[in-house]
Amino acid sequence: MISLFKRYGTLVGFIAIVAFFWFNLPDTFMTARNWLNISQQISMLAVVAFTMTFVMVMGDFDLSVGSMASLSGITAALLFSQGYPVAAGVAAALAMGILGGFFNGFLVSILGILPFVATLGTLTMFSGLAFWLSDGKTIFGRDIPKTFSGFARGGVDIELAGTLALKIPYLSILALLVLAAVWLVLEQTSFGRRLYAIGGNYEAARLAGVKVRRLRMAAFALTGFGAAIGGLMYASRVASANPTQGSGLMLDAIAAVFLGMTMSEEGEPRVLATLVGVLILGVLDNGLTQMSVDSYIREILVGAIILTAVASSSVGKFRR
Amino acid sequence: MSFLEVAHVSKSYSGAIALKDARLDIAPGEVHALMGENGAGKSTIIKILAGVTAADSMAATIDGKPVTISDAQESYRHGLRFIHQELNIVPHLSVAENIMLGLPYPRRFGALVDWSKLNAMARAALDKLQVSHIDTRIKAARLSTGDQMLMKIAATLISAGDNMARLYVMDEPTAALTGAESRKLFQVIEELKQSGASILYVSHRMNEVMEICDRVTVFRDGQTIATRNLSDTDKNEVIHLMTGRDVKDSYPPRRTAVGEEILLEAKALRTVQVRDVGFQVNRGEILGIAGLADAGQSAVLLALLGVDRMQAGQVTIHGSPVAAKNPSAAWRNHVAYIPRERRREGLMLQRRIVDNINLPHLQKLSFAAGLLSRRRERRFADALGKKVRLKSGGMNQACYQLSGGNQQKVVFARALGDAPELLLLDEPTRGVDVGAKFDIYTLIRERSAEGAAVVMTSSDLPELIGMCDRILIMREGAQHSIIETDGLSPADLLAKFYD
Repeated sequence: MISLFKRYGTLVGFIAIVAFFWFNLPDTFMTARNWLNISQQISMLAVVAFTMTFVMVMGDFDLSVGSMASLSGITAALLFSQGYPVAAGVAAALAMGILGGFFNGFLVSILGILPFVATLGTLTMFSGLAFWLSDGKTIFGRDIPKTFSGFARGGVDIELAGTLALKIPYLSILALLVLAAVWLVLEQTSFGRRLYAIGGNYEAARLAGVKVRRLRMAAFALTGFGAAIGGLMYASRVASANPTQGSGLMLDAIAAVFLGMTMSEEGEPRVLATLVGVLILGVLDNGLTQMSVDSYIREILVGAIILTAVASSSVGKFRR
Repeated sequence: MSFLEVAHVSKSYSGAIALKDARLDIAPGEVHALMGENGAGKSTIIKILAGVTAADSMAATIDGKPVTISDAQESYRHGLRFIHQELNIVPHLSVAENIMLGLPYPRRFGALVDWSKLNAMARAALDKLQVSHIDTRIKAARLSTGDQMLMKIAATLISAGDNMARLYVMDEPTAALTGAESRKLFQVIEELKQSGASILYVSHRMNEVMEICDRVTVFRDGQTIATRNLSDTDKNEVIHLMTGRDVKDSYPPRRTAVGEEILLEAKALRTVQVRDVGFQVNRGEILGIAGLADAGQSAVLLALLGVDRMQAGQVTIHGSPVAAKNPSAAWRNHVAYIPRERRREGLMLQRRIVDNINLPHLQKLSFAAGLLSRRRERRFADALGKKVRLKSGGMNQACYQLSGGNQQKVVFARALGDAPELLLLDEPTRGVDVGAKFDIYTLIRERSAEGAAVVMTSSDLPELIGMCDRILIMREGAQHSIIETDGLSPADLLAKFYD
């Protein structure tokens, strides 16, 4: 009984939250339109949280994803404003993400700095770099090409009986693609299995011939890459870039992975569980906004829910 | 009347039965041995007594009155105290503070700690055990393992009050102790016994049990096989009860000749930890490495595996030089390694058996692009599990649920996975019971007969003599000599360790 509660408590909580909003917002909440809206709202957080799972599987984490997301948006927007094509701006932003991620990996894996300290340092560096490059200003308006900002507004039209019924946003589709890719890599490849092994016992993995340093670098690079994608999605959505716009992503991404970890028996991060974590945060945000709950109160509630989930999953941890 | 009696104790871990209707009774003031192979259920019943694990069913009485043990506090109130292999000490605090840990410190002016009184109380506790050589003011980290254990025992005396310690459960207490430290512990056990407390003594060491215990209860496969007065029984009977068979010839004999071809050659090897190491190992040969504790035996293996960087010298396999840069390169060259500390260096305890076995072999179990084939993974692990005679509740079971012997078999299955040409074994039977030991010896012999070279360390001298063709003696980090094992006695071997 206790173990069932432990295992499925978070999922039950999610369902309860959905039921609560359905009951309180009977007309607007449980509609396809609203869910598509939610999926678009959470898509950036989702991508960052999914790729954050790579490092958290090894027992590490990355605090710099938020400022990396900002930096990636700034990088792309700057190139756009210089007249470079969209592809070049996007490629440069993604390269920035991979590079920054490798740098994190280098600090943690080669120099042996604790992930908390290393990524706290790079958080500040990336953020400073974004301010410096942008001169602290928001880049917007004509500097942002229509093809770039159009992506976030576009979607796949679904027609029912000849009329336009729904539009599935490209952002949501992109997030789903990232989810599929991360799931495939973590759960179905030897690379992913080795990351889990490193998380299980670093020393044992090393002595069993796993190239622990290289893999750790690669995982951080992937997390940086994901942060850059998230940053681009954000910039596209608001059709502008400023050096602080990604800063909220980091805490939410880590919270989402933690929420997901409460769903596995051994407390391991799983990317599908991370999805549930992201959904919980997204649905809360959406529902509470619709109910016109003060945003400060929203934050208190979100914090309380994360703590409740983690606490309930440690119930009876010392008896098995 | 018994002090403590537990009966009908059953416990299973996700289907795997750990205890089946087991029973144990302990008289006041006796030293009671609990023996059995790894996986017999000793650790499980200790955890149940400690209130750490809940039994599926159990009838317990203390002084004839029925009791429950639902958590650690309740176990403590019943007067049960546990001295574990891995001691919970706070190394940075003084001996006195460790002894008084968890109790209110004596105060001066209501707020300041009265250090001299604290030290005096700790001193008094040690004196009760007739232990006078430990200074209560030094940090606990500076004590030897044996003294740390005595310190922990002293701590149980202090916390007496209403909850007098009535039973001490000691799990392999002498595993990390020197001979002299063990003697001191036995004296302390005698003191405790005189004071009316009982001791439940869990050990693999038959001689100790024969010497200090009054009665023995033997577990096998989760069941209580027998309880005997030690004065009415002997070693052979106890071994027979433990294993269900007579263990005569503990080492499987060599059946094939040593090969002609030199497989491994090390010349003038030097690392941070060892120097002047040079030897050859032929195909089908087993080379032992022996010496006093920490004379560099393990470090030779670490150099061959590429963990410790070679500062000088050369290692060749098949005559071609290999720069063993790191363990990853070593495994790729068909070198397999079994670490000394299987829990810390060998296993991912929370992960499944199949993950643990397959870890170094994922490459060949995947399709292109590193996509894993579940079917190949399953088959591979199943075949190896069968080969090492692993007893488990299936390949998806988590490793922490296995007994020590079976955990070691998982590590062996991993090492044997890719038909290794060179096997590096660091204390391969450490903390493994008699039955599993024999299985492991057989595996080593088999792989050796198939043409692999084996280099193994062990602190069990009869084991080295029984398994190895030659033994390399290490003294203080340097190679001293290499001797043949033909006709060698453990005493001869031991003599080589000293000047």
